Amino acid sequence: MHKEAAIREPLVLGNDVTYSKITNDVLAPIEGKTTKGWKILMTIASIVALWGIGNILYLLGVGIGSWGLNKTVGWAWDITNFVWWVGIGHAGTLISAVLLLFRQKWRMAINRPAEAMTIFAVFMAGLFPMIHMGRIWMAYWVLPLPNQFGSLWVNFNSPLLWDVFAISTYLSVSLVFWYIGLIPDFATIRDRAKKPVPKLMYSLLSFGWTGNAKAWQRFEEVSLVLAGLATPLVFSVHSIVSMDFATSVIPGWHTTIFPPYFVAGAVFSGFAMVQTLMLIVRKVMHLEQYVTIKHIEYMNIIIIVTGSIVGVAYLTELFVSWYSGVEYESYAFINRFSGPYWWSYWAMMTCNVVSPHLFWVKKWRTNLTFTFIMSIVVNIGMWFERFVIIVTSVHRDYVPSSWSMFYPTWVDIGVFIGTLGLFSVFYLLFLRYFPVLAFNEVKTILKSSGEKYKNMSDEDFHKLHPVKK
Amino acid sequence: MANSTKYWKGLEQLNEDPQFVEASKNEFPEHLPTDAFLGDQEVLENSTTTRRDFLKFLGFGVAAASLAACETPVTKAIPYLNKPEEIIPGQANYYASTFYDGHDYCPVLVKTREGRPIFVKGNTSSSLTNGEINARVNASVLSLYDNNRLKSPLINGKEASWSDIDSALTKEIKGAKNLRVLSSTLMSPSTKEILSSLSNKEQEIVAEEGTVVENKNIIVEYDAISYSGILDANNESFGKRVIPTYNFANAKTIVSIGADFISGWLDAMQYSTGYTNRRSPEGEWMSKHYQFEANMSLTGTNADVRVPVKPSEYGAVVATIYNVVAAKVGGSQVKVGTINKIVAAKASSAAESLLENKGASLVVCGSNDKNVQVLVNGLNNMLGNYGKTIDINKTSHSKNGSDIAVAELIKEMESGKVDVLLIYGADPVYTLGEKFEKAMEKVKTTVSFATKLNDTAAKCKYVCPDNHWLESWNDVNPVDGHYSLAQPTISPLFDTRQAQESILKWTGNQSSYYNYLKGYWEKTLFPTSGSLMFSDFWNKTLHDGVYEAPTSEVVSELSFMADVNSAAEKVAKSTSAGVELVLYINETAGNGNSSDNPILQELPDPVTKITWDNYVTMNPSEMKEKGFNTILGQESPANLVSVTANGTTIELPVVAQPGQAKGTIAIALGYGKKVGKMTGVTGKNAFPLAGYDKNGVVSYYTNAELNSISGLYPIAATQTHQTVMGRDSVVRETTLDVFKKGNKNEYNPAHTLAAHEDGKSVQKEIQEFDLWNAHPVKEIGHRWGMSIDMNLCTGCGACITACNIENNIPVVGKDEVRRGREMHWLRIDRYYSSEHEPLGAIGDTHKNTMEISEKGGIAAYSEMENPADNPRVVHQPMMCQHCNHAGCETVCPVAATTHSNEGLNMMAYNRCIGTRYCANNCAYKVRRFNWFNYIAYKKFTDVNPAQDDLGRMVLNPDVVVRARGVMEKCSFCVQGIQAAKLQAKKEGRPVKDEEVQSACSSACGSGAIKFGDLNDKNSQVRAGMDNDRAYRVIEEVGQDPNVYYQVKVRNLKENEA
Repeated sequence: MHKEAAIREPLVLGNDVTYSKITNDVLAPIEGKTTKGWKILMTIASIVALWGIGNILYLLGVGIGSWGLNKTVGWAWDITNFVWWVGIGHAGTLISAVLLLFRQKWRMAINRPAEAMTIFAVFMAGLFPMIHMGRIWMAYWVLPLPNQFGSLWVNFNSPLLWDVFAISTYLSVSLVFWYIGLIPDFATIRDRAKKPVPKLMYSLLSFGWTGNAKAWQRFEEVSLVLAGLATPLVFSVHSIVSMDFATSVIPGWHTTIFPPYFVAGAVFSGFAMVQTLMLIVRKVMHLEQYVTIKHIEYMNIIIIVTGSIVGVAYLTELFVSWYSGVEYESYAFINRFSGPYWWSYWAMMTCNVVSPHLFWVKKWRTNLTFTFIMSIVVNIGMWFERFVIIVTSVHRDYVPSSWSMFYPTWVDIGVFIGTLGLFSVFYLLFLRYFPVLAFNEVKTILKSSGEKYKNMSDEDFHKLHPVKK
Repeated sequence: MANSTKYWKGLEQLNEDPQFVEASKNEFPEHLPTDAFLGDQEVLENSTTTRRDFLKFLGFGVAAASLAACETPVTKAIPYLNKPEEIIPGQANYYASTFYDGHDYCPVLVKTREGRPIFVKGNTSSSLTNGEINARVNASVLSLYDNNRLKSPLINGKEASWSDIDSALTKEIKGAKNLRVLSSTLMSPSTKEILSSLSNKEQEIVAEEGTVVENKNIIVEYDAISYSGILDANNESFGKRVIPTYNFANAKTIVSIGADFISGWLDAMQYSTGYTNRRSPEGEWMSKHYQFEANMSLTGTNADVRVPVKPSEYGAVVATIYNVVAAKVGGSQVKVGTINKIVAAKASSAAESLLENKGASLVVCGSNDKNVQVLVNGLNNMLGNYGKTIDINKTSHSKNGSDIAVAELIKEMESGKVDVLLIYGADPVYTLGEKFEKAMEKVKTTVSFATKLNDTAAKCKYVCPDNHWLESWNDVNPVDGHYSLAQPTISPLFDTRQAQESILKWTGNQSSYYNYLKGYWEKTLFPTSGSLMFSDFWNKTLHDGVYEAPTSEVVSELSFMADVNSAAEKVAKSTSAGVELVLYINETAGNGNSSDNPILQELPDPVTKITWDNYVTMNPSEMKEKGFNTILGQESPANLVSVTANGTTIELPVVAQPGQAKGTIAIALGYGKKVGKMTGVTGKNAFPLAGYDKNGVVSYYTNAELNSISGLYPIAATQTHQTVMGRDSVVRETTLDVFKKGNKNEYNPAHTLAAHEDGKSVQKEIQEFDLWNAHPVKEIGHRWGMSIDMNLCTGCGACITACNIENNIPVVGKDEVRRGREMHWLRIDRYYSSEHEPLGAIGDTHKNTMEISEKGGIAAYSEMENPADNPRVVHQPMMCQHCNHAGCETVCPVAATTHSNEGLNMMAYNRCIGTRYCANNCAYKVRRFNWFNYIAYKKFTDVNPAQDDLGRMVLNPDVVVRARGVMEKCSFCVQGIQAAKLQAKKEGRPVKDEEVQSACSSACGSGAIKFGDLNDKNSQVRAGMDNDRAYRVIEEVGQDPNVYYQVKVRNLKENEA
């Protein structure tokens, strides 16, 4: 008898998992018939998305006045939603790029759906700066294009311009990274496809992937290079988004703490959103063996860490506002927690600062229902964080005569709900037509030579691997 | 194997007949009858049109036809066939004229562009108004282009022709047994003469019938807002039923009891100039102003000491002051009615101040009670003010109406004695209500001269629309010896005719009013002028707009002959029951004449900052007791109440007014016309609430009943936060005592920041901290800037309307204002002090914050949001500060807003994509976003005059109308700067100081707003900038604005509340 060292728990659970089972499990929704549940969800999501699109068209037809903004509050739900969606779009790249660089193998079970979430979230985010423009038909003017307007050029001092570059770079790198990862999986689907149309589609999508060793080697190299490229982007995007506020003169916006604080917040909300989606997906698509309690727990730990960073940031802001002795700065924060929008501040504090610490209890952080509820709570909290920063800073700034309130209109609400619908439509399409797990990568972490084979009777072995006659 | 079989058509081909071979080279073997359809061979041979050309032409033709099928915009610009000599396209002409509507008198300059009047500004040639103008006069240019104006005469409500009118009325007037003219006060001497020509005839008829000839004037003058009390009191005191001229510029102590003399009372515009003349602390002396009043009037907001008093105690206040003064100068004591002890103490201190400045003081009272006015006259007489600050020999003619005469006229009408009634310049059905309407029914022939259908005109048999004042000739004699002319600046837009001309025609005088007017002036005024030629005199007067006749100093000895004691007896009887109601007039609606002007409706009330409505004002603490909402906001509407007085009940929203005397409420008059109002105008008519005594004398103070009724009413206010929250970087104020000490650090300390030098902390002025590569504007070329003296700014709002009209600012309507989206480039911030902000608590901001938090902590901040019970008030005009380090400029992604090398913060509308980042990052919140397409979107059709072809004519062609989705803001009237620079360049000289005027500075009669070149060392703005009182709003943020404010100094002792 030899003794084996107690090693880590396997990342893929269950004795019955084989390479082919993984493929079958992941491809089941793609190769099978459309399920009733998917159809119902898709219908609901489409209706909500269409409602949102209708609202956007109304907004574009009538003017920004259909939102509840006013002379004092020039941004409210639009930029709140923008930052919220960008924040959500952070987890995917963090999981796939940063964790790849750190050789965190557990990421393999969740990187694909998280990256999909990232891309769709960035789509939603990108929508808001577009539609919030008074003259969207001139939106291309934010690009430094050679033009015939004389020497007219964009203003490189403007953080909004930095945003344009940051978001578009982030979106394109994330998209490429995600797509590269999909290629081998598409090739597998292509190889298994029986009907001509899917076969054609997936063969186009898979770029003629052959699966030979050289291809795999290049695949890994590209992945590493892209991970290297994407990693700084994870930090730059939200830092730059935060500069929209940090470089301004408005008390409550004008804060040097913003870049790290925003990045932490983004990871925080991004992981919460991954949790929300993964908990549903693993249940509905029966992926419990791949996305395990361990994964959920790891992500909850990240939520504790980032939530704590966010909490420290909130408290630092409060301290600095008092310590600075700047009248406007201190009032901005007094106003946040005791002014007319106190409820949004306390909603933010409860959801973002208090609630993550419940995860210190192991029983709770490994409880799926509790995690699911918490993931929703965190995202509500993070929406409020952006609302608090944007609206409660600007609604009472320097000159008290202009102080005012912001009240959303049904168009404000409709556009936001609509993006949730649109996001869901994209995500449902992804679940139906794309391999939801990076199964070719998951296979690399399957303990194929583990305990199972050692202790297996011949009979069982032959059952598992029938010998061809 | 290739198939080599050949087929042939005929033997000719097989045989290769040479003829056939030749023919086969032709495309068409047979001859084509081209000649038949191509016509003349010769022409065809000469033409070079090939097939390709034909296709080109065809293609071009199709393209051209399809292009032509697209709709091309029809442009309606028609060039001059013969260019008028004085009109140069693109250049404005100014004509002197005069505004008078029975309420406001103002000599003006009318700016016309290509024959359209587009702007009105005060005429500085007038020594009465010195270029002062108010919002109503300013905005009246819009009413010219009002599509709701009467476009033709009416008979019984149906359109008629002038010839029908003339034949009918000539007959009616000829046959009239008892003709009456009800007119607003007639300040036009020529018009008075024309109207009197109706009178001679009447007397003949009456004489024929052998009845008693009372030689009664057929003209009954009637003022919508009555000043009978003063007129009658002067009659009783001095034997002259006149309004004296008040010289506020000579008054070192001014005590006003309920008289809103810079906004609504009598010749407010003239008083305002005199008043503000003496409100600068740097002058020889600064007047001290006490105001005793119930509601917070604009005058009250400017007072040094303001005491809330119930109107029933106004008489007692006068009597108290009278007694204190009498005790010193040796007069007899009069009876004093009930008076609050605190008020009495304040009244005594006011009296002390009056005594200090005997002969250089002034007491005025807004009451229409003759007896109170007699007491006031007695008081002024004791103080020796007559001849010094009040001139009873040089009288004002602006208000002449007699309530008693009007009451008599109504009686006569009711009895059926009056058969012809001409109504000129008044809307008595609106102001006098039902009793007049009923009496009118008894009159056979009623004639109205309204320019726009109003409540009275709608009931008249004949409506003969008068020209708009900008289409009219006129003359005005506002004050003895002062005359001014009005001249038309545009031909009548509609089929209207001037009232004077109509009457001349009906009385058989064939002369035009213009000739009549000239004749009248030649007859009466020309001899006084000393000119040799009448044409010289006439042309000069017309050019100047005003004529001041040399005065013959006939000072008749003044003898005061009224019985002060009996007057005081009667005054002391005044009782109070229930709630006391004050009816007042505000800057926006006036007496109702301008209530349907959208620009005025959107002009926030200078005190409450509420637009588009009238409402009940009430003391906030009393409102809280009754459970009314005291804080207004977009989604925080006002409670509705019903107010019952003198048998009439109206329902209005109730609004908190800090400083309102407890137990009183106030409602603005001038709202709620039934007929002819534009859609979107709200408000209720409060005239029927006024009280009338048995002689028909009206009182605007009356007892009322206030009841809460269910329901909420949305209120659109441009400012919903009332206090400055202790921010002395925004508003700085001090007392005259402190100011006189001359230590700038005490009242206007420079901002400093701590810096570390050699391990030590040192305070450095903020100018030394700079992250920027400064725009090189200081002391290089021009640096346009503004200087705003908060001591001189009364908050009247004339600058706002001037800005609106000059810069084509859209009117957005009540709902949008409620949503905080008014487009005004210039606003006047009005701050009330809170209990936590004692006067003179000025130091550095940091210290203040510490004090606040030490005293009350965080709770103090929320308490500071509530105005004090009787707050001090500050008016602060606020527009783009044209920061040299502007926050807005750096954040625009497309560089749509940039800095000029002359210090202007410029906006390129065409480049703007509407991210609104600039507005968010503007520390002053002066940027305005085009939320909708105001010039086309349906929501604004009713309110925005620019949606109407006619209304659009008022737009200034020098300023672009902004599209939906772009940001806009104050440009310092850059169009004016450019024009002045061009002019100077053409003339080869530098731009002169005050040559460039922004719309606001030109409308600011008090001189609070000065515009000019800060780099010009001798300019007025430079003087303002270098002044010890100069500071810049929130300067410590470091945006380096180009607008300098001067610290508000109140004429108070250091510890005087």
